[in-house]
Amino acid sequence: MNGLHGILFCYEKRNDLKDLVETRSASSMPFGGRYRAIDFGLSNLVNAGATDVGIVLHGRYQSLIDHLGSGKNWDLSRKRGGLKLLPPFAYERQGGGTGEFRGKMEALAGVRSYLDTIRQDYVAMMDGDLVVNLPLSEILEGHIHSDADITAVCGNDSFAVDNGTYFEPDSEGRVREVLYHMHTPRGYRGLEVYIVSTQLLKDLVDECISRDQYSWRHDVLQARVKELNIRSYIWTGFAAQIRSVQEYYDRSMQLLDPAIRVDLFAPERPIRAKNADKSSSYVGPAGRCVNSLVGDGCNVEGLVENSILFPGVAVQEGARVRNCVLFRDTVIRRNADLAYIIADKRVEVLADRTLIGHSSYPLVLGKGACV
Amino acid sequence: MKKECIAMLLAGGQGSRLYVLTGEMAKPAVPFGGKYRIIDFPLSNCANSGIDTVGVLTQYRPLELNAYVDNGQTWDLDSSTGGVHILPPYQSAAGGTWYKGTANAIFQNIAFVDRYDPEYVVILSGDHIYKMDYSQMVERHKESGAACTISVMEVPWSEASRFGIMNVDGDDMVEEFEEKPKHPRSNLASMGIYVFTWKTLRAYLEADEANPASENDFGKNVIPAMLGNGEKMAAYRFTGYWKDVGTLESLWDANMDMLSPESGLDLLDESWPIYAKSISMPTAYLGKHARVSHSAFNRGGDLEGRIENSVLSAGVNVEEGASISYSVLMPGVTVKAGAVVEYAIVGQDAMIGENCRVGTSPETVDPLAWGLSVLAPGCVLEAGTVVPPKTMLDKNGEEVAR
Repeated sequence: MNGLHGILFCYEKRNDLKDLVETRSASSMPFGGRYRAIDFGLSNLVNAGATDVGIVLHGRYQSLIDHLGSGKNWDLSRKRGGLKLLPPFAYERQGGGTGEFRGKMEALAGVRSYLDTIRQDYVAMMDGDLVVNLPLSEILEGHIHSDADITAVCGNDSFAVDNGTYFEPDSEGRVREVLYHMHTPRGYRGLEVYIVSTQLLKDLVDECISRDQYSWRHDVLQARVKELNIRSYIWTGFAAQIRSVQEYYDRSMQLLDPAIRVDLFAPERPIRAKNADKSSSYVGPAGRCVNSLVGDGCNVEGLVENSILFPGVAVQEGARVRNCVLFRDTVIRRNADLAYIIADKRVEVLADRTLIGHSSYPLVLGKGACV
Repeated sequence: MKKECIAMLLAGGQGSRLYVLTGEMAKPAVPFGGKYRIIDFPLSNCANSGIDTVGVLTQYRPLELNAYVDNGQTWDLDSSTGGVHILPPYQSAAGGTWYKGTANAIFQNIAFVDRYDPEYVVILSGDHIYKMDYSQMVERHKESGAACTISVMEVPWSEASRFGIMNVDGDDMVEEFEEKPKHPRSNLASMGIYVFTWKTLRAYLEADEANPASENDFGKNVIPAMLGNGEKMAAYRFTGYWKDVGTLESLWDANMDMLSPESGLDLLDESWPIYAKSISMPTAYLGKHARVSHSAFNRGGDLEGRIENSVLSAGVNVEEGASISYSVLMPGVTVKAGAVVEYAIVGQDAMIGENCRVGTSPETVDPLAWGLSVLAPGCVLEAGTVVPPKTMLDKNGEEVAR
């Protein structure tokens, strides 16, 4: 069967998201006023016609499982195929020990029998913390036409991200060097999106595991860069890897730019998400809300400027919210003054409080905090 | 599968008093409150009241409504032992007819109701905006031992002669029903929501069908016949917000009510959620020059203009320099720069070109000449078009008389 199968890797604790990942994995980070990071990966796959997606879970995945449900929101609740959750108990490392893996190859070896059930000829491997809207069907076509063994999708920059991978292709697009742990990154920033044929992936997993090699990027990409035809696909649009509080904040704020939104929310490739089941949003007679993204069921009676409000946020009269990201059901009471704050779910800031961060150091208020 | 109680939702009416808004869809499918369709209210009420089996009787232009109701998952009504069922008129060996009246619609679906062998059947209407716990009404029905319970609400005495009025005794048992009485003796108006004991209703439906003089209508025929035969009829007093949105004015009013929870219609209150089908669109963006005040809005839109006292649905875009007040904009409407929209209802995907002027506030014109301006779904206004108050345009931009 021709077509694309998706595997999404949802890691924990390899990033610097601090309090924001206290109760969730980076893949279930809220983003853009109504989404979770993983909505982007799932939608990218579904929009490319993928009907089967495996989710490799790791660490604090309860919030993620909650969000995914049966996969219905992405049309992935299917009789045959559909969404397949692969929690850590499936990883049985030789010599005992479950629940953790050292790298993608080890994780895939742990679900080796699942790999045998893949009906499609090609697999797209993605990380759950990537926010992007890729034309994956085009990328797959390019992969097939170029006779590549592996296509690595890269951003059009060498932007430093925590634990990033960087690719240096030649003028033909063939990757000559794969680098990571660089102090000053060079080459193209890898988005950790790879297209590979199902057969090759299985062969690579078997070979690696027989040598106790566990890392995709060290033991496959770097070690076999000469032997395999690894090609790069350069994506020039918006692509955010959410791996630190600062990056989360900066990338969120970029959404206030209409051009970025057009790019990320291309109508021909809609990003699907779980519905909030809230009513319309409302701005009151005394409210003022400018240059902001406002989720469903928000109630703004105060001032909101350059901010992103998730569903059900309330900003009471006289309160000021500037340059903030407020997660679901957060309440800002009368005359409170907030700037450069990321408030997690159900935070309450009491009347007359003042909380000011800085664009270079946004302050995080933990889930359910009352200030 | 036996159920204690199921609901039958009358959704087949054309809604002719909504004119161009129901040109291509049945009334229950008309968008409401920026996010909902009218039918979301009765279906959410059912789900919240613990009624998991609902028959939706459709007849007029059912395509949009059927697509919207889908498998009922939106309201958690996709149950394997019940759920939502769309019930259009059908042919049988003895022929078939359209639904002739509300009672005939149920009569034609006796077989559907019998499948669930219910003790009670709740009859609902597809054109009301309200939050109501039907289980309390069924409770009242059981306690009173009535054959039929009619939900009623107090209306101002001055308006009582516009409604079907119930005269009740000290136990709130109905003694008399008067349709639009000149001299009302009570101000308890029927809301058109009934609970029947199915066995009794079934017999009355068969008798009503056998009577060629009957219009086969609950209010006109079945309820009076039951009263006439001395059946026990209970009134159930409802005190919350309720509005029949069968006319353009009442639809507009109810939308405005939604903006002010003081009206009693508080949709931000999550203890009795009203569900609506999710739309895959990004978060709403309020632009740098947006001036949004006392207004509701939804995802998928970029709002740059001035928006006051208005209800904006998903995918509505308002360009910089446009001004909207006291208006209801349905999904996908675009308002271009410099356009002014006042006291208007604008149908789905309509496009209002640059510097158009739609509607006027009542203060500026002769009260007789004033009224809401209405644009049909899909109507496109060329730049600079003026649509006077009390004017309605169809999807080709041609005026329609009211």
